[in-house]
Order: sequence, then C-alpha cells, then structure tokens
Amino acid sequence: MSDAEDPTTFSPAEPTTGEEFEPVEVFPDNDDFDLRPGADNCYKCSTCDTNCPVAEVDDDFPGPKFQGPEQWRLTQTDDDYEIDDSITSCSNCLRCDNACPSGVPLSQMHNTARGRYVDEQMSKLSVEYIRNRILANYRTSAWLASKVPRLSTFVMNNSAVRWVMDKTMGIPKERDFPAFATETFQEWWAKRGGADESRRRARQNRPDDADPSDYKVAYFHGCYSNYNTTQVGKAMVRVYEELGFEVVVPEQKCSGTPMFANGMLDDAERHAKVNVSSMSDLVEQGYDAIASCTSCSMALRQEYPELFDIDGIEKVSENTYDSVEYLRIHTDIADRLSEATVEGDLAEEFAYHAPCHGRNQGLERQAVELFAELDGVGIEDVGDSCSGISGTYGWKSEKYEISMEIGQPMFDHMEDSAGETGMTECPTCAMQMEHGTGYDVRHPLELIEAAIVEA
Amino acid sequence: MAATPHVLVIGGGSTGVGIARDLAMREFDVTLLEQGNLTHGTTGRMHGLLHSGGRYAVADQASATECIEENRVLRDIASHCVEMTGGLFVKRPEDDESYFQDKLSGCEECGIPAEVVSGREARQMEPHLATDIDKAITVPDGAVDPFRLVVANAASAQEHGARVETHSKVRDLLVEDGEVVGVEVEHDSGPGLRVHGVEGGREEIRADYVVNATGAWAGRIGDMAGVDIEVRPSKGVMTIMNVRQVDTVINRCRPKGDADIIVPHETTAILGTTDEEVADPEDYPEEQWEVDMMIDTLKELVPMLEEARTIRSFWGVRPLYEPPDVGSEDPTDITRDFFLLDHEERDGLPGMTSIVGGKFTTYRMMGEQIADHVCNQFGIDRACRTADVPLPGSEDFSVLRDYMDEFGLRSPIGRRSVERLGSRADEVLQTAGPNPTVCECEGVTRAEVQDAIAQSGSDLNAVRIRTRASMGNCQGGFCSHRLASELHGEYEEPIARRAWDELLQERWKGQRHALWGQQLSQAALNYALHATTQNRDHDPADGESLDFSAFDSGTDDRTTGAAGTDVAADGGHADGY
Ligand SMILES: Cc1cc2nc3c(=O)[nH]c(=O)nc-3n(C[C@H](O)[C@H](O)[C@H](O)COP(=O)(O)OP(=O)(O)OC[C@H]3O[C@@H](n4cnc5c(N)ncnc54)[C@H](O)[C@@H]3O)c2cc1C
Ligand code: SF4
Ligand code: SF4
Repeated sequence: MSDAEDPTTFSPAEPTTGEEFEPVEVFPDNDDFDLRPGADNCYKCSTCDTNCPVAEVDDDFPGPKFQGPEQWRLTQTDDDYEIDDSITSCSNCLRCDNACPSGVPLSQMHNTARGRYVDEQMSKLSVEYIRNRILANYRTSAWLASKVPRLSTFVMNNSAVRWVMDKTMGIPKERDFPAFATETFQEWWAKRGGADESRRRARQNRPDDADPSDYKVAYFHGCYSNYNTTQVGKAMVRVYEELGFEVVVPEQKCSGTPMFANGMLDDAERHAKVNVSSMSDLVEQGYDAIASCTSCSMALRQEYPELFDIDGIEKVSENTYDSVEYLRIHTDIADRLSEATVEGDLAEEFAYHAPCHGRNQGLERQAVELFAELDGVGIEDVGDSCSGISGTYGWKSEKYEISMEIGQPMFDHMEDSAGETGMTECPTCAMQMEHGTGYDVRHPLELIEAAIVEA
Repeated sequence: MAATPHVLVIGGGSTGVGIARDLAMREFDVTLLEQGNLTHGTTGRMHGLLHSGGRYAVADQASATECIEENRVLRDIASHCVEMTGGLFVKRPEDDESYFQDKLSGCEECGIPAEVVSGREARQMEPHLATDIDKAITVPDGAVDPFRLVVANAASAQEHGARVETHSKVRDLLVEDGEVVGVEVEHDSGPGLRVHGVEGGREEIRADYVVNATGAWAGRIGDMAGVDIEVRPSKGVMTIMNVRQVDTVINRCRPKGDADIIVPHETTAILGTTDEEVADPEDYPEEQWEVDMMIDTLKELVPMLEEARTIRSFWGVRPLYEPPDVGSEDPTDITRDFFLLDHEERDGLPGMTSIVGGKFTTYRMMGEQIADHVCNQFGIDRACRTADVPLPGSEDFSVLRDYMDEFGLRSPIGRRSVERLGSRADEVLQTAGPNPTVCECEGVTRAEVQDAIAQSGSDLNAVRIRTRASMGNCQGGFCSHRLASELHGEYEEPIARRAWDELLQERWKGQRHALWGQQLSQAALNYALHATTQNRDHDPADGESLDFSAFDSGTDDRTTGAAGTDVAADGGHADGY
C-alpha cells in the first residue's frame, strides 16, 4: 500500500482476521510459538526483575521472571490455559531481555503472551481494547490528522476534548498530543525529487574512487518522522547524502512496535509483511536498512524474526541498523565531528537519554561518545533509568501515574544537567522528556546535520 | 477374634495404600506401616504412566486388559491425579511394520481404543516429533501423579478409621504357634505425624491378619518368618526434562527395548527407561551411561531432547516376581502380572499374605483382590466400593475458575494449584492471611504448603510430594529456605533446620545426574547462593541453634543510615579499605 491509499478501512472494534493462533495447527515448522523450551535457559537469578522499571514502582506487577519463563513453563499448549492479565502492565521496554545473563527469550515471551492475552481473553468491545487498538495503530490516526495538521494539533490538545478522551477512552488529559507537521516527510521527499535526486547529490559528495555499491541505504523513517518530527527524517537524508550515501525510501508501514506492546500481533504482522517484502528486495540489491527510531530498528532486527515467519525476514534483520550506529561503523563520522563546530540554534548543552530499545541494541553510549569531541556543544548522559513512556504505555490513563513515576529519575537528572535541551533517538521518549521537563528535545541526527551539512 | 478384625498392612506404596483404603472402606480395623514417607519405595520412583494397556497388548494381553479397565476407573475416581494426555505408539522407518500391525490388532483384541494416524497427523498433535516418522497408533494413555494418588488413598483410609504410620519400619514379624500374629515396628519419631527430634521407639502391634505389600522388599519380610519370596528386583532409570517437549505420551512402537517412552508429567517430561536385575533394592549402582542412553535413544523420536535441559534423574526398582519354576533369564521376560501369595497355603504359615509384582496402574484392582482374600479369611461378605467412590480431592470439581477473584492468585499459579488440589481447592486456598508464592517454579503458595504441613508434620520431603514445591527447575535452590521457614510457628528452629537439610540432600541426590549445561549453571548458582547467604559451605553453627536474641534489632534512628559518616554507602568498610 502506498501512502496515497486510505488505511481507514480498518475498524478498531473488529478483530482482524487471519489464522487463529493455535500452535499445534501450524505446520510443519511451528515450534516458534511453543515457548516452554525457552524456559530451559532460566536459572531464576532474578536479574530481570531487578532491571524492570515497572516492577520497581508497581508492587502489583509480578515482574519479568514470572511473566516470561515461569509463566511459560507453567503453561500447557493443548489446553485452555490463560495468560495472566498482569501482562498488560508490562510496558515492553525490554530491559529484562537485555539484562538476562542467560539468553532467555523474554521479549518473545512477553510479546507472544500479550498477543495471546489480547486475542483470547480481552473483550474486543471493551473501551480498553478499542483505545489500545487506536493507540497501536497510531499510523492510521496520524495519517488522518496529517490531512488537516493544524486543525488536528489544535483539536487534539483542546482541553475540553482531552477531558472527554480521558473519561471515555482512558487517554490521560495531562499529555499533549504531538504536533502534526504541515508537510509529511514523504511529501517533502517526493517534492524534492525522491531517489533520483538523492543519487545525484550523493554522487557529488562521494570520492571518485568509491564503489557506489557500498553507498546504498534504504530509509525506514517510521510513523513519527513522517507525520510529526519530519526534521529528523530530513536530517537523516541530508547527513547520509553529505557522506555520499544514496537514500531510497521504500514502501513501508508501521514497524509494529506499538502493536507488539498492545498485543495486536495480527495487525503487526500485516504491517511487517509489507515492510519485510519491500526491504528484503532492497537488501537483495545490496542496500542496508536504516532506521532513525530505535524502536523501529529493534522491531526489524529482533522482534520480527522472533515472532513472525515471513520470507526474507532473517536477511532484513541482519542488515538493519540504527542511523547513528551505521555511520559510526561505516564512515569517518567521528573524525568529521571532532573537526567541526556547531553554531547557532543547536549550540547547546544537551541532556541525553538513552532509550531502552537503543540499549537493547547496545547503543546507549553512541551519542555521548560521538559528540564528546564536537565543539560548541556539550552532552551529558542523564543516567540509565527508563523514561517511563514506553511508546503507548504512558498514553493510557491507568498507566499515567506509573509512567511518570518511572520517568522521575530521568526528569530529575535532566533538571540537574547543565543545559535545557534534551536529546534522544526515540520519539516517544522525547515526548516524555518534553512532558516532564518542558525541554525541547532533539535527535542526534539533527545535531550531526548542524555540524557537517552546510545550511 | 475381635468383632472387627484388625488387619495390618506393611508398605506405603500404591499397593499398600490401595489395600488399606479398600479394607477400611469394608469396615476393617486397619493399620498401615511404612518405613519412610508414603511412596518411599518404587511408587515414588516410577514413570507416571497411566497405562492404556497398549504397551502390553502384544506380549501380555492379560495385563493389557486389566490396564484398560483400571485406566477407565482411575479417570473417574482419581480425576485430580490423572491427566488424560492420550498416547502415541510411534513407528520410525527402521521399525518393524509387522510389529506395528501386531500392536494395532493386539489393542483391538484387548478392547483398547486404537487408531492409526499418519506421520503428518502425529506431528500435528506433537510438533516436536521427528519429521521422518512413519506413522503412529493413538491410545488412551494418561499421566498420573503417584504422590497425589497415594496420599489421597491414605487420606481416604484415614477417613474410614485407618491408622497410618509413616517412618515406621517393621523389624520383625511376631510368630506365635506357627502363626503370624503381628509385627514389631520401630518408629522414627513417635507415633502420629513425623516430627524431627521426637524420641522414637519400638512398638509391638498385634493383628488378626498381616498383609505384606512391600514390593521389592517383600522377600525381607518373608525372611522374618522364614518363608521364601522370590522377588527379582529390576532397576530402571528415568530422566526428568525441565519442560514438556510433548503433551502426549510418546511410546516407541517396537518390541521391548530400553529408552522407549516419554511421559509428560505436570510441568516436566520424563524419559525412560531400562530394565536390569539388581541384587539389593536399596543399593544398586546409578550410572551415567543409563542417563545418556535415554537422551541418545529418545532423540530419535523427539530430536529437540538432545539440546533440552534435564533437571535430574532417578532410578526405581520393579518388584518383579515369577513363580520359581519359570526361571526367566532376562528380567524383561518376567511377567508384569501380580501374584497373591497366601503363606498358609504356600508355606503352612497362617496369618499373612504377600502381594508381589503388578503395576501402579492396577493398584486398585490388586487391593480389591487382596481385600476379597482377607474377607474370605474371616468369612465376611462385604462388597468392594473403591471403584465407585472418588478419592478425596476427586469429587466434582472444575479447574476453570477466576483464580484472581476467588483466591487472589495469578492465573497460571491458581490453575496449577487447583489442578493439584482438586475438590479440596476451596478448603485449602481460601485463607484470610497473605498467601505468597513459596515455590515459584511450580506455583505453590503458602496455603498449600501449610495444608501439607498439617498433613505430614515437620517433614519437608513429605510436603514436597504433596505440593511439588522444590520439584521445578531450581530444584529447591530458591525455595528450600522458604519452605523451612513455613515450619516455623508450629515447630522450633532446630527442627526446621533438620527438615531443611534433609530436603536439600534429597534434591541434590537426583541433580547429580544432570550436571551439565543449564542445570550445571543452576547448581552453581544454587551453591553460590546457599554458601553466601546460608553459610552452607562452612557452617560453624552446624547442629546448634543460633542465638538470635544476640542480634540487636537495628536502630530506629534512620538519619544515621546511608548518609551517616560511619557507614559506607557502597557496602564497603567505612574507613575505606
Ligand atoms: C522404572 C519403573 C517405571 C515404572 N513405571 C510405571 C508406570 O509408568 N506405570 C505403572 O503403572 N507402573 C510403573 N511401574 C511399576 C510400579 O511403579 C510398581 O509396580 C508399583 O509402584 C509398586 O508399588 P508397591 O506398593 O507394590 O511397591 P512400593 O512402592 O515399593 O511399596 C513398598 C513399600 O514398602 C515399604 N517397606 C519395605 N520394607 C518395609 C518395612 N520393613 N517396614 C515398613 N515398610 C517397608 C517401602 O518403603 C515401600 O514404600 C514402574 C516401575 C519401575 C521400576
Ligand atoms: S519489558 Fe520492561 S516492563 Fe516488561 S517485564 Fe520486561 S523490563 Fe518489565
Ligand atoms: S534474568 Fe534470565 S535467567 Fe535470570 S531470572 Fe530472569 S529470565 Fe531467568
């Protein structure tokens, strides 16, 4: 589906069809959903529990060890075993997955359990389900809103409207809806000349002896850079072109992150199929997949192959990178930055928060290391706590307080840091940072752009 | 002779409790004596297969027919001990086709519902089966929890007035005028519930009749009165996997052989087994090659077993018996049938009958025959009711409940608890006080542990077999101390310590045979944890109580906490070394 098509044929109250999730019926290679063997790796050390930000503030939440290996081990597949409803309190930050010293597939376990819970145990007519479905399908709402961006931004943040939403849908009135861009990233990209223009610009910036096949990337912009923070998408394109890379923007849908987090695996799989299909074609042609949102790269890299069986999924997973990570691996960006100076708008002290999904990919130090030598700016890590929003989690009234409590240490550290500008790779963490401190929050790509791309 | 004859049953395995329950229900005055815990013998060391009879359908059709009959009865009267998993006889390409056909027709002849399914269909039922299997036969095999079943039988016997003594070893038979008139028994800790440290003692118990149901030990009881009982104990190994790789009983469809069955059991799967004659039912070698053979052979049926985690292995001895004139060379040729040896007829020693051989699955039928026999001795005509009256816990119940609302339990924990407790769930789980999970691996809560303690005294192994606490993947690493502290209140600290040590010993025993891969890291972690937090690597306080009153209760003045100058916030010494 291209973006010109109408995705609103989807009805939030109607479960998407698709095969019943019934492991014994999938054939022949269906072991992916019997996760009991995954419990073999757990030796009960509880490291996961001590790393879970939700368990830390919510005494009713039993924690990842129960939620993952213990629950799966106690489950029987041939039976009407129920998933405990506490799975809906897990924010899917996946800190536990990262913390486990023993390779227990916690993210797969949580995602699958949540999917099963929503499929089999949650009323499809409940306000909670409908609300979650709307939050999970942010792309659909954003698509609509982007048609009338100014009006949407205004209406969504009108206090009367927000009061009604809180009461009827459980969307906390405290939160500000993100502003919608007047021109989406895709509109900008098309207007600018698309891939042809990008090839032209990249070629200009490439050394003559460079092998063009090493300079091809496919950009997975995700929903947020498309509809809201288009400046991040634009920065990605400009920075990569500056470094000689041709960018293509393949057909794409939501990465699925909000859908995993809400247990809507069918929705996520439909979107994943489109993403994998277009990305795998490009990967075959030698492109690497680049995402500027760490949850998107996490989805493509880890969650897709854990949860779905789609042609080409492994290949896409192996060739997906975070946008900053890729530059650090394949270019001399560190040298470029150590020679550069930033002036103007972005000559700031940044309070940097590493998003959980970035941590899971081992990226928590990348921004701090990269910008340490950059003149004109300062950067300070605000610690290893979770921001607490975890995508759609903090967008639920019943989770709002917990979400803010989890975020408190981060807010405190931001307040303590030198500057008044935040930085992170994750768009929803950015929302939370802004919400808790009132700081303006930027993406590392924006700062790289300011440092190396001539305005 | 008293108006109500007093019958003494020796042996607290399935056979003994089955007999005790039957006799008690027929209004005999019954005493049951067991040297260890209930299920201390073979019954606590078996495979947990509720036979459909399929395994005997070719070679031993009499046994097969008994099995299917009793299989149906137990589903009814012991529903909370039985899980009807169904079973498959799986044929691999190299297995003999004519045997497959024999199995099928054998099942039909014995009235065992059996159907052929293709390899593809079999794998749809059990996805982890090898992809190259040919086909399979479905049979109504099931899984049965021997501990729960035996405890329920004993409880029912007690409800009908029986006296049940565990940790009470029969030392001698009392023979007067050429007739068995009772036993001399040695109690480990005084009569009634076992309490560590309570002075035991010898007791003479007189009875009108003695039933020897000591399985593999039957010959020793016989020796006490100078009669010869030719039990031929044969050992078999079983290896427990951490999770269920299959939810159906998987049998290899070929003539008798080692390592040919996988039984799903509660949260685990049990691989088995071997068949090798041993001299002494209590002292025989447990060898690693036996364990290796289980995995290496059974992975032909379920390949993922090769990589899967085992948590322990254990051995049991079959109480095989054959009449002296048969003389089989190979123990696998010995019949699985049971024999009732009336020592009056056989050896001219009135007052005692022994029952030997048989299977767990047919325990009730064995009990019925013995009870009939005892009735005959006294000219009493009372009908057997054990096939009709459900065991305590197996009265009408449903496992599907709102666990959170009813018991305040997380769904999988509530589910497992109710499955274990059956119709006793409400009585046990509805508690006023807080009900934390004590054993996380198996989902056992304080309420269930307390219920078991009330049944069995200060013996944590008895709590274990009742609840499954400490039988999961940590093998007691994370819950033994919690279980021990559950004894507190009722029992003093030294008693709790002894019970705790015993439990850890028992848990370690089986784990020794699983020390590679994941269970090795588990054992290493358990060791580190127990050594550093319980001083188990070096215990100068061993055997003596700690003087807890010597510890102060801390200071109320919170301000001198981490911020104070005398405390290092990093946990190190205050002055920096
Ligand atoms: C490896 C293996 C696997 C098996 N698998 C299955 C299966 O899957 N399904 C099935 O149906 N059957 C199975 N069996 C057979 C079954 O386990 C036995 O037939 C049955 O448990 C025997 O029970 P029992 O009560 O006769 O003997 P036991 O359970 O051995 O009971 C005898 C009891 O007598 C006690 N005792 C001995 N001496 C004294 C004394 N002096 N004083 C007091 N008490 C004493 C012992 O401590 C013991 O508890 C298996 C057997 C083995 C060995
Ligand atoms: S994903 Fe995050 S919130 Fe969920 S259990 Fe793991 S650490 Fe806790
Ligand atoms: S961190 Fe891993 S091994 Fe430790 S308890 Fe959690 S899942 Fe188990």
